[in-house]
Formats: sequence, structure tokens, C-alpha cells
Amino acid sequence: MIMKESMGPKPYMNPYLAGVILGLTLLASYLVLGAGLGASGGIARIAAYLEGGLAPSHVGSSEYFGAWGKEPLNYYLVFMFLGVFAGGLISAVLSRRFKFQVERGLKAPRQFRLVLALAGGVLAGFASRLAQGCTSGQALSGSAMLLSGSLVFLICVFAGGYAAAWFVRRQWHD
Amino acid sequence: MISTFFGLDALSSSSAMAAAFLIGLAFGFSLEQAGFGSSRRLAGIFYFRDMAVLKVMFTALLVAMLGLQYASGLGLITEDQLFFMPSIYGPQIVGGLIFGVGFVMGAWCPGTAAVGLASGRMDALVFLAGAGLGSVFFNELFGVLKGLYTWGDRGVRFAWQDLGLSAAGFGFLLVAVALVLFWGAEYLEKRRTVGGEYWRSPFLRSFSSVMILLALGLMAMEGRVAGDRPAGLQISTSAMLAEIESAKDHMEPEELADRLMRGEPGLMAVDIRPAEEYAEFHIRGAVNISMADLLEALAGRENKGIIVLYSNGMTHPAQARDALFRMGFTNVYMLTDGLVGFIDRILKPASLRTEPLSAEQRARINSWRQYFLSSEKPQPAQAEPEESLAVSQPVAPKWPGLVEPAWLAENLGNREVRVIEVRAQAQYNSGHIPGSVCVSHDNFRGVVGGVSSMLQPPELLAWHMSLMGIRPTDRVILVPDDEPHDATLVAMAFARLGHTRFGILNGGFPRWIHEKRPVTTELPQVEKSQYPVPSPDVFTVTHKEIMEVLKAADHVILDVRPTEYYTGEKVDEARGGHIPGAKSRPYTEDLFKHGKVTLLKPLEELANAYTSLVPNKQATVIIHCRTGHQASQTFFVMRYLLGYERVLWYDAGWSEWASRSELPVEK
Repeated sequence: MIMKESMGPKPYMNPYLAGVILGLTLLASYLVLGAGLGASGGIARIAAYLEGGLAPSHVGSSEYFGAWGKEPLNYYLVFMFLGVFAGGLISAVLSRRFKFQVERGLKAPRQFRLVLALAGGVLAGFASRLAQGCTSGQALSGSAMLLSGSLVFLICVFAGGYAAAWFVRRQWHD
Repeated sequence: MISTFFGLDALSSSSAMAAAFLIGLAFGFSLEQAGFGSSRRLAGIFYFRDMAVLKVMFTALLVAMLGLQYASGLGLITEDQLFFMPSIYGPQIVGGLIFGVGFVMGAWCPGTAAVGLASGRMDALVFLAGAGLGSVFFNELFGVLKGLYTWGDRGVRFAWQDLGLSAAGFGFLLVAVALVLFWGAEYLEKRRTVGGEYWRSPFLRSFSSVMILLALGLMAMEGRVAGDRPAGLQISTSAMLAEIESAKDHMEPEELADRLMRGEPGLMAVDIRPAEEYAEFHIRGAVNISMADLLEALAGRENKGIIVLYSNGMTHPAQARDALFRMGFTNVYMLTDGLVGFIDRILKPASLRTEPLSAEQRARINSWRQYFLSSEKPQPAQAEPEESLAVSQPVAPKWPGLVEPAWLAENLGNREVRVIEVRAQAQYNSGHIPGSVCVSHDNFRGVVGGVSSMLQPPELLAWHMSLMGIRPTDRVILVPDDEPHDATLVAMAFARLGHTRFGILNGGFPRWIHEKRPVTTELPQVEKSQYPVPSPDVFTVTHKEIMEVLKAADHVILDVRPTEYYTGEKVDEARGGHIPGAKSRPYTEDLFKHGKVTLLKPLEELANAYTSLVPNKQATVIIHCRTGHQASQTFFVMRYLLGYERVLWYDAGWSEWASRSELPVEK
């Protein structure tokens, strides 16, 4: 029993400390790359690559994906995205938090949660293309540069989130 | 100073990819450590259960913001090395709202979902698939979304500018707001759930204090850079005396001579004697700054490069050096024995020296004499033969700036590299750079407000670019024939549009031919684009604004017309002469010729020439000629090649000034 206790997941890091580490990472990104962090750009390029595998001529001639050329994966944000996955994996394994599951409230059906996750993903993926960035690229990286539009985006994200929160609360009911 | 991958235009190099991967590793690690591999924790903020998102995100925001401002305040990094996203309010508001809904539904965002997937969360995998689908939908709908995509494009805008604050002032405000939110979140968590463990904790108290101190420090630093520098900046007297003791504050004439001859970048020899003495004779390459102007002229150069002061003797440089040292300059030296010593030890012919000399020493003295006694003034009439022109190297351009033919040749196939030849149509038709379009600089000008030959307003310029199929992200290379100022005038159009990546082909079309690069007679395929219309530019000034600037202290007006127009000997307009206080610097002085190839002079030479005209890079510089055409070249040189920060362009120029009898004229 004692053994099992000590093998449970480690507690999360002090959020302010984690924030400092994340902030220093962002600062390093400015100073080394000259640009901030980003995640949705990598996802969109992977999507363009996969769609290109299915319908190459369609993607090549489309105005938005087409501008990324024949090799959309050849872009720094794709590599950063892979890094995020790898960094997350290392941290999750070291902290014994890796666990196959669909996270949801105890009373919430699994399918309900997955449908919401899919719909949320579609909206977030679409919106991050429209606004040229997501929580990382616009809300965090742009706001830390004190760019007006990025701060407006940050405020709108929370406005949209709080406005819709009540309607999707059941997925967390225990 | 840091060069970023963006600044080097090398974001697509393999080393940038590797760096991005490593940064991603740290990014993913910190997200997971914060607990963002859990959708339940992420959603907590929307139900006031678990405010970790707020704490982590805003702490990161503050740390990065403070770090970046310190880095730029200390001169570690400059703006041109950073990619600033434009503010496009339409898509940012609509996208932000939709994103927020998606965020609370899916309980992930793109970055955290990657970490969630790495933690085994299947809902994260589903979210990522959704996000990919959402991107595909966007691509399919792009045709109908285009209007929204660029709606409300205001270019790069900073919130502090929009609010009329300083960057540090706004930063302080942001820190204050974030700390209130942190304390509020802790209190809320404590009341509602079992969290809130940092409420009134010594940790949060000291964390808050550190943030406030850092923000205050930034304000103090900004005040020091912008306003009067307080004399009390504490550099200890003992440190100064120790440096003097060890003669670390001296540079020997031989060393200075050798380093000047090598053309060492960052080395600045400053002659602090009166201007008449400087005009009579000075060390080749030195600039003339009077003692009184030193602090102002050298602002921004503290601890960057090496500054060597000299006068006839040692007393004045020693005083100046001590004053600069107290202001935080640790890179100032004085020339041992002054100009007297330099003449004796460097310029005295070997035959007059009493000490025994080896053959080597004689050769060294002869090379010094040859370099420092030869006339510094170039002979513009004498064109160098074309054969002596070296073949260009494929160095990556700095945007906006000069583009080497070799680089363009390597990048000709790239869809984002667009070439515009600013040459005569007939010559273009008989052979041009493959893929290029041809346009006359006069296409971009017209009558504005009753004045002829004005650069058109942004709406029209954006329309031109759309017809040429140019997009804001394209790299645009402008190719002049033998008049670089034709290309720089078109460059003004791009500057007005807020385009960031444009450049001038170094040496223009003649050099392309000289290097035997490919040409064609085929016309390119051009698809119309939709170039967004930005807000008015900030560098074009009217005669009214010039009258305002004339009252301010730190300004220079440069008249780049031929000298005889400046002096009033020649008059083509209502009145002759120049704007009171204006300095003359004909634009042709910045050029030299190798046969048929016209080039801008080497950067070092231009930098020296302009430093003696305008020592302070932060000074307000107004450039004008007759119609704005020639002035565009000097604008390009000063703003983009030499990095002067406040360069203004009086487009209407002398043709307007002369015809408005209420405006003052000097002869």
C-alpha cells in the first residue's frame, strides 16, 4: 500500500512557478526565433499535409493552404508543435500522470464528452486560422508584446468562453 | 546585439527548425507541469473552480513582457529582429469569440491538447482531429471569408501607443491588473473549493513584490533613456580610478591606425576639436562632435562598439571620457598623446625618424601614410571600370534593405519572392528577370491636394499591388536601371502600405546583366490578389508639420537637391534657396559607378558621412527634394540602411514650399 501511495501522480507544480518557466520559454522564443510560441499553425499545416495526401491538386490550387507550397510541414511551427508533444510526454511520464482516459465528469456520458471535444476542436481550429493564432500565438505571445489586436483577441476568448460555459457544463457533472 | 532567425530571414533553415523543436519541448514541459494535460483543470477557470489557467497564463505573459522590454531597453535586441503580428480587429474579435466557445466546449486549446494527448487523454486526440478539420473548413471557405480576414487591418499597433502611455507605463498597469486577478483568484478558490492555498501566503506576497519591482525598474530605465539622464547614475569612482590606473582608458596611435585601416565595424573615432580645425585636418574616418554635443550624439552607443576620443592634446578627451564613464559608458577610450602623438608616431615619414627602423617598420609606416594622408573625399566623376566590380554573394537580405543579385538568382522560383522592374517598358520587353513585372515609378504618383507628383494614397497603392498579385507577406525586390531613386520611390509606396519585406536589387538591372544572370522575354503569370488598405503612414509630413518641427530642439532638415538649387544659384520654381536651417546633402553623393552599374556607396562610408551630418540616430530628420523622388533615396539610406529611427519625408518638397509665399526661405 505504501508503495502504491508513493507511485501515484505527483502534485502539479506551483502555477506561478510554471508560469515563470513558460514566460521564460516565450522570452527565449522571441530572442532566438524572433517570433513567439504557436500551436495552431502546426496543426493547420499537418491538416493541409493530410488533405494534400487525399486530394493533392485541390489543396495545391486552394488559395489559403496552396500558399504554403508543396511541403507545408517544412515550417518552424510544425517542429515546435512536435516539441510540445514530446515535452508534454516527458513531463507526464516523469510526473506519473500518463493515463489513457476520456476526461469527463462522473455522471457525464463518454460520447457526450467526445462530441463536445470534437465540436470544440472544429471551432477552435477554424477560429485560430481566422484570427491568425490561438491561445499561444495570439493571446499569449502577441499580448506579451503588448500588441493591441492580440489583447483584444485575449479578451474575446474569455468573453466567448464564459458566455458559452453554462451550456456545456454537464460534461463535468459528477 | 542579438540577431534572431526572423531577423536573418532564416526561419525556414534547419537550425531554426531545431531551435523551434527545443523551444517546443520547454513549452510542452511547462504546460504539463502546470497541469494542463488535464481538460478538467483547464475548464475549471470557466466555472471558477480552478483558476490555474489564469495564474499560469498571466504569469507567463508578465514574465515574457518584462523580459522583452528589459532586453530591448538594454539594447540586447532591436525591433527589426522581431516579428510583430498586425492588429486586424475584425477577425481577431470574431475569431476570439468563436475560439472562446470552442475552448470551453472542448476544454482544450491547440497547445494544451498536444500535451493532453501526450498524457493519454483521448478527448485531446478528438479535439486535435477537430482542430485539423476546422482548419480544412477554413481553407475551403477562404473565398467567402476573405473580406472578414482583412477587415479592420490597422497594421502593427501597440496597446500603449493607442492609449497614449509609455510601454513601461502600460506594462506596470498590466502587472497591477494581473496581481489583482491573482489575489482574487486565490480568494475565490479558498471560498469555493479546497484550493486557494497561496491566499496571503508569503510566497504570493514576495512574488507580487518582485513583479512590481521589476515593472517599476522598467519605468525608471525608460525614464533614464528618454528624458534627461540624471548625473547620479552610480558608477563607482574607484572603478573609474582603477581603469585609469591600469591605462585601460587609452588607445595607442598605432593600434587605432591599424584598426581604422582594417575598417573595423563598430569602431568610431571622434574628433572633439572645433569644426574649423576638423575641416583643416583630421584622422581619416573620424567624425566631428563638439564636447557639448557628445552625450546627445553618442546616446544609444553606450557599451556598443568602441569609441575613441581625440583632440590635439589629452586634457579635453580625458574630461569627456570621465563624463561619459559616469553616464555608464564603459567603451570610451582616448587616443594616447592626442593628434600631436598621432602625427608624430603614425604620419611622420620614416626618413625623418631618429630611431633605427627595420624594413618591416618602414613598410608599416608607409602604409599608414598612404592611407591617412590620401584624400578621404571620393572623386565622383571618376567611375571605376566595370570589371573591378566583384560578383555578389547569396547573403540573405535584411528587410527592408539591399538584395544581392546572387540571392535573388537562388530564390527566383519562390512564389513569395516577387520582382518588380522599375525600368522603361521597351527595355523590359527586350529582356527582363524571369517572373518579373514592369512598372514605372510615375504610376504611383498623382495630384494630391493640388500638389503634383505626390505619392498616391494607400487605397490606390493597395489597388496597384492587388493588380500585380502582390500579398502583404511577399518579399518584393525592386529593380532599378541606373537610377536607384526610381526604385526607392516605389519602395516608399510599399512603406506607405506597411509592407515589411521589400528591398532594392543592389546594382539594379545592369549588375544583373554584368553577372550574367538569366533573362527572358516571356511575360509572367499574375493572379490578382486583395491587398489590404492600411491606415495612413507616419513618415510623410506636410509643410505645416515642418513648421511645428522647426520649433522643436532636436531636428535636422536635409535638402538632397543638387547644391546649386540649395544655394539658390539655380531656380526652377517660384522662389530659390532652402528651408531655414536645412543642411545640403545631394542624393548623388551617396552613389558611385562601376561602368554602367550604379551602386550605393559602402555602408561604412555612408554611416560616417551621415554621422557627421546627424550624429543622433533618434533625432527627427526631414528629407526633401523638389518632388519627393530624389528624397526617397536618402530616406531609404537613412531609415533602412543606417537605422535612423525618426526619418520623415516631405513628399511635396520644394515645388510646394517655394510656391507658398507665407513659408520662410533662406539663401
